[in-house]
Amino acid sequence: MAKPAVIVVGADKGGVGKTTVSRTVLDYFSANNVPTRAFDTESPRGTLKRFHPDITEIVDMTTTSDQMKIFDTLNAVSPSVTVIDVRAGLLSPALASLRDIGFLDAAKSGQITFAVFHILGPSIASLDEIAETASFMIGAKYFLVKNFINDTQFFQWDQATYNSYFHRIKDATELTIPKLNEMAYEQVEVASVPFLKFVANKGLSDEAANYSFVLRGYVRHWLANVWSEFDRIKLTDLVGSGKPATRGGEK
Amino acid sequence: MRQTPVYIICSPRPLVGKTLVARLMSEFLLLKNGTVSAFDINLKEPSLLDYLPRITETAEIDDTVGKMALMDRLIINDGLAKVIDLGFHAFEEFFEMTEEIGFMKEAARRGISPVVLFIGDTDRVSARVYPMLRRQIPPTALVTIDNEHVVRGELPTAFAMGKVLRIAALPVFLKTYVDRLSFSFTDYLQQERDSSTELHQWIRRNYLSFRELELSLILQGS
Repeated sequence: MAKPAVIVVGADKGGVGKTTVSRTVLDYFSANNVPTRAFDTESPRGTLKRFHPDITEIVDMTTTSDQMKIFDTLNAVSPSVTVIDVRAGLLSPALASLRDIGFLDAAKSGQITFAVFHILGPSIASLDEIAETASFMIGAKYFLVKNFINDTQFFQWDQATYNSYFHRIKDATELTIPKLNEMAYEQVEVASVPFLKFVANKGLSDEAANYSFVLRGYVRHWLANVWSEFDRIKLTDLVGSGKPATRGGEK
Repeated sequence: MRQTPVYIICSPRPLVGKTLVARLMSEFLLLKNGTVSAFDINLKEPSLLDYLPRITETAEIDDTVGKMALMDRLIINDGLAKVIDLGFHAFEEFFEMTEEIGFMKEAARRGISPVVLFIGDTDRVSARVYPMLRRQIPPTALVTIDNEHVVRGELPTAFAMGKVLRIAALPVFLKTYVDRLSFSFTDYLQQERDSSTELHQWIRRNYLSFRELELSLILQGS
């Protein structure tokens, strides 16, 4: 049985695209035939759940019972990959909880694969978040995600300052999520389907849909760019599923 | 599968005869099929809409809504031939967009036959964009228009590697005549009894070239 892998997607700041990145990760695993389950911590009403209802469960990560639901089942359930979309402001507390329950030690000793996708916002506060998060990252794969999806004029802070924070974390890797055409993004939101289904012109239950060819083209192009970033960091290898398979979304 | 042709008449240069070719092609298709749908993305130059208002609609690709309105129509395999008069100002935006959204690939999948009619010129801009077209457009779907009125018999050899369709220059008085908004090539063919006139022969020769082009498309699709 493959070693369980946990991917935490989060940021302390809101509106930086955590759920969007979680959705691209779930689509990526789906296209690569990696069985995955997801937890949406936007309790009681989760956005991730709306797009991936079959594999997503809404949890309140601040409660012990829900922490048990996630972490006590890591070895017991069949999907060996768990993606947790951590709601705004909860990343540092969540990592502290993981440390307290001994999860980070388990990751450090190699029993569990643990990765953090830290989504960065445009403000200087994001740099402070890096420093704060860094202390939890021993034994974890740490990805700093520059998410340009909503705004082309995104990173306003000084690159040298950013570098000084970035290099504090050993083996941190930078990821870039490119901009997606606004109308295409909106239409996927309205359709409430995974990006992959939007590209394939399908509804949530695989029924035929009638999305704009142009918008589907934009989403396909964008998703291919995002996935090439995931290929670059060998995300499937990281979760123990070998090389990326032939993918439907890139046809 | 039924094939729907989409003729994209383009150049990154103004005043090289795009609208003339678009008019000829539209009138040819109208004569042959009884119907055609033309799109004018050329509002900054003499415009197809002015010549053929009954079959032409304006299109804009400055924003996503405009792109959707145009491209979502072009990708429908309805058997209705389409002609696009693509203005020089929209050239790069259009082909960047078609590349990004994967138009050629999706068109092939849906039985649409896009044909890019690139009007060659001797300038640097045309030389720069042509390799981009060759990268994006399959050789069978990329046709260079050798408009004698523009290149005067000196079509750059780089453009002559693929299919070339030649349009002879008309004498100035005939050029002025066909440039009138009320002039129709097909009406002229049908009403002028003397088939030996230079204009009669010029129109017939061009229609014949278009027919050959269409035949080659049919052969490719079969």
